[in-house]
Amino acid sequence: MRKLLSREARQASLPWRSAAAGAMIAAGFLLPGIAQAAPAGCAALQAKYPGWKGKTLVNAVNPHTPGYEAIDPKDPSKYVGFDIDLGEEIGECLGFKLTYKPVTFAALLTTLASGQADIVISDIYATKERAKAADFITYSKVFDGVLVAKGNPKKITGINTSMCGAAAAENTGFVEVPLVQNLMPTCKAEGKPEPTLQLYENNANCIQAILAGRADTYVNDVNTVDQAVKANPDKLEKAIAVTIPYSVGIAVPKDKPEFRDAVMAALVEIQKAGIHMDLLKKWELDVNNFKEPDILSVD
Amino acid sequence: MSLFLHYLSLPYLLEGIELTLQVTALGLGGGLILGLVLAWMQLSRFWLPAALARGYAVIFRGTPLILQMVFAYDALPHIGIKLPAVLAAGLALACNEAPFIAEMLRAGVLGVDRGQVSAGQALGMTPAVLMRRVIAPQAIRTMIPAFGNESVSALKNSSLASVIAVQELTLRGTQLASSTFDFFSIFFASGLLYLLLTAAVSAIQLGLEWLLDLDRTTRARRLADYLPWRRVDLATKLELSEKAPLAVVQPDVMPPARLLTRAERAKRAATIARNNVAVEVKHLHKNYGAQTVLGGLELTVRIGEVVALLGPSGSGKSTLLRCINHLEDWDRGTVRVGGRRLGFRDDGKRLSPQAVANERASVGVGMVFQQFNLFSHLSAKENVAGPLRWVHGMTRLDADRRACELLDRVGLSHRAHALPRHLSGGQQQRVAIARALAPNPSVLLLDEPTSALDPELVTEVLEVIRRLAIDDGLTMIISTHQIRFADEVADRVAFLSTGSILEEGPAHEVLTHPRHPLTARFLSVMQADKALEAVR
Repeated sequence: MRKLLSREARQASLPWRSAAAGAMIAAGFLLPGIAQAAPAGCAALQAKYPGWKGKTLVNAVNPHTPGYEAIDPKDPSKYVGFDIDLGEEIGECLGFKLTYKPVTFAALLTTLASGQADIVISDIYATKERAKAADFITYSKVFDGVLVAKGNPKKITGINTSMCGAAAAENTGFVEVPLVQNLMPTCKAEGKPEPTLQLYENNANCIQAILAGRADTYVNDVNTVDQAVKANPDKLEKAIAVTIPYSVGIAVPKDKPEFRDAVMAALVEIQKAGIHMDLLKKWELDVNNFKEPDILSVD
Repeated sequence: MSLFLHYLSLPYLLEGIELTLQVTALGLGGGLILGLVLAWMQLSRFWLPAALARGYAVIFRGTPLILQMVFAYDALPHIGIKLPAVLAAGLALACNEAPFIAEMLRAGVLGVDRGQVSAGQALGMTPAVLMRRVIAPQAIRTMIPAFGNESVSALKNSSLASVIAVQELTLRGTQLASSTFDFFSIFFASGLLYLLLTAAVSAIQLGLEWLLDLDRTTRARRLADYLPWRRVDLATKLELSEKAPLAVVQPDVMPPARLLTRAERAKRAATIARNNVAVEVKHLHKNYGAQTVLGGLELTVRIGEVVALLGPSGSGKSTLLRCINHLEDWDRGTVRVGGRRLGFRDDGKRLSPQAVANERASVGVGMVFQQFNLFSHLSAKENVAGPLRWVHGMTRLDADRRACELLDRVGLSHRAHALPRHLSGGQQQRVAIARALAPNPSVLLLDEPTSALDPELVTEVLEVIRRLAIDDGLTMIISTHQIRFADEVADRVAFLSTGSILEEGPAHEVLTHPRHPLTARFLSVMQADKALEAVR
């Protein structure tokens, strides 16, 4: 766990942090390839999209997923993780700074829609349903892991009939929730008991539900599952990794298409410069997650 | 354990306390202001504000705080009000606390003895003075425990601000747990921090109770008495209640006033007949629904005259007295005191409660109640001196001097600093008489002044009234069941039945030779009672 967390950390709530100090930290600790400066194309982007230069935007996060976004245990005033770094890179490219607003997972898009946040980069899967509330710029493929108690007593092998009769812990608002729900008629058809769903507010509570013997499984992003196993190697294990037909996306307000395009363009530059891949390695995430950006927008 | 201590002293968590306190303070402060407004609206004599306040309470008491938080944070921006998270949380908490606080305030205000409110009105206090000097001081004392409860509950409820990104204690705890996986150490640490905060609230509550305890001045109560595991035991309670009234061995027995001879009575009657009219009641009608309480009652009382109202319970004696100083409304008829229509403008329009109060004070109608109705949070002396300062604008020095003089006159100067609850019934009634006399009223109304007293205490009160009548020549209207007293003191007796005067005339004549059969029967029943008592 410790090993994972880079010394490079971002201020969680200090909007006055100077860009110079940020750059210095970045220059000092980041991998050489990343940190020299913003990618060359960024200057052109700032000229093309000048509206966000010098601004401080609010990034709504659900900071309960170490590796993606969580507070730094060594300095809890900072948020750290892959998503945090990626957001900062996008900001640096377009010339804005970020502050963070911690909310529950289910409140991420509400917070964005109400204007209390400008952007959401928080390991949120871009689905058509969610795209009704926000536009997404997808940036990562999804691999889910199945977290179970040590020894996998219920022999669960994924979101399939092996889960019939089991109790699944999930985060309120997660895409896995309808997947488990869709399983219910299938189980019934096979004459097996239906799986039950327990909805919690954050990852930690889902993991605690398994540790306390209340739930049998928790299906979530594979990295999150790995983190949980790493923290409790005697009590938990990952049963299997499953592929889920979604992408992770950055959410932006539907009524700001120019901002959406700017973020998309910045992401392209960042990927071109190799920064995206470097960040995956830095946070020990599977490089297979890498995905070229697309826009998901529905009316 | 070391992890627990580590998190307990972690600055990150400790800083969360500040936000927790900010949200709580906003919630309680805003809730108190809003609650005051709501309580005021509910207690208003107009129906619209009362209905609006009711509606507010139904909505904000009936929906979960967590929804109100999310609404203040996520919905208000859609109508252009984008509050910072702490303010949104404070607003939601304030709106949620307000109806609860309003109900506490309302219960506190309504819990104050109605009799004391009547007494205050009779003394000419405006609604504002009454609220500030009589109702609020007593209501606040009874509300402190409930306020303590509400503060603790608001403090804990502030944790719901975590759902709208306020970095308070709970949100910091959960985030820390997510990133460190030290779930239980962190939650125990933040639980203990909450416990310390709520303990501080309890300490403030107990401190306030101690500070405002009226008995503190009469007995050296130690702070230890207020510790939660300490109970005031029965023995101390008895000691408390007994010690006070018996502390001084009755130096307050007064020499009886002399009785008037027949010749003196005649002379007195002749003098009074030449005096101006003090109270004039004409054709007074009042109904409670279908029941007639006053049916065209006529009564004229001249300056210096003492009139005794006799009659069975429910015959309208008390209602008549309460109408004379307009503590009650009536349906038809007029009441004039000193030639003025109390409570009405010259053109017959009703005056506001405040204007009525001012008029009562300037016309000067004193009232003594069956249940004494002393202000129970004030000492005997303050009961007399207070209204002089608040209503008549006397200086503290003058008011105190006048109070001492009057307490002396009713034989209670040695009990000047006692609280009403430490006085016997007779002593309380004598203080009440002193209080009614203090502003030099032109008329004194006494509503069954001895009915609530134990038999052995009746004499001391009657003695005081007798002196007022005979020595001071005060105009008085007394409703009473004491036939012999009426005979000795009153110039005139009026016998009431079902809201009108059946018979009236010189006291001795009516009482010895009643003409109306109902009067005769009433008198014989009363006398039979006396005879029975004598036999026992």
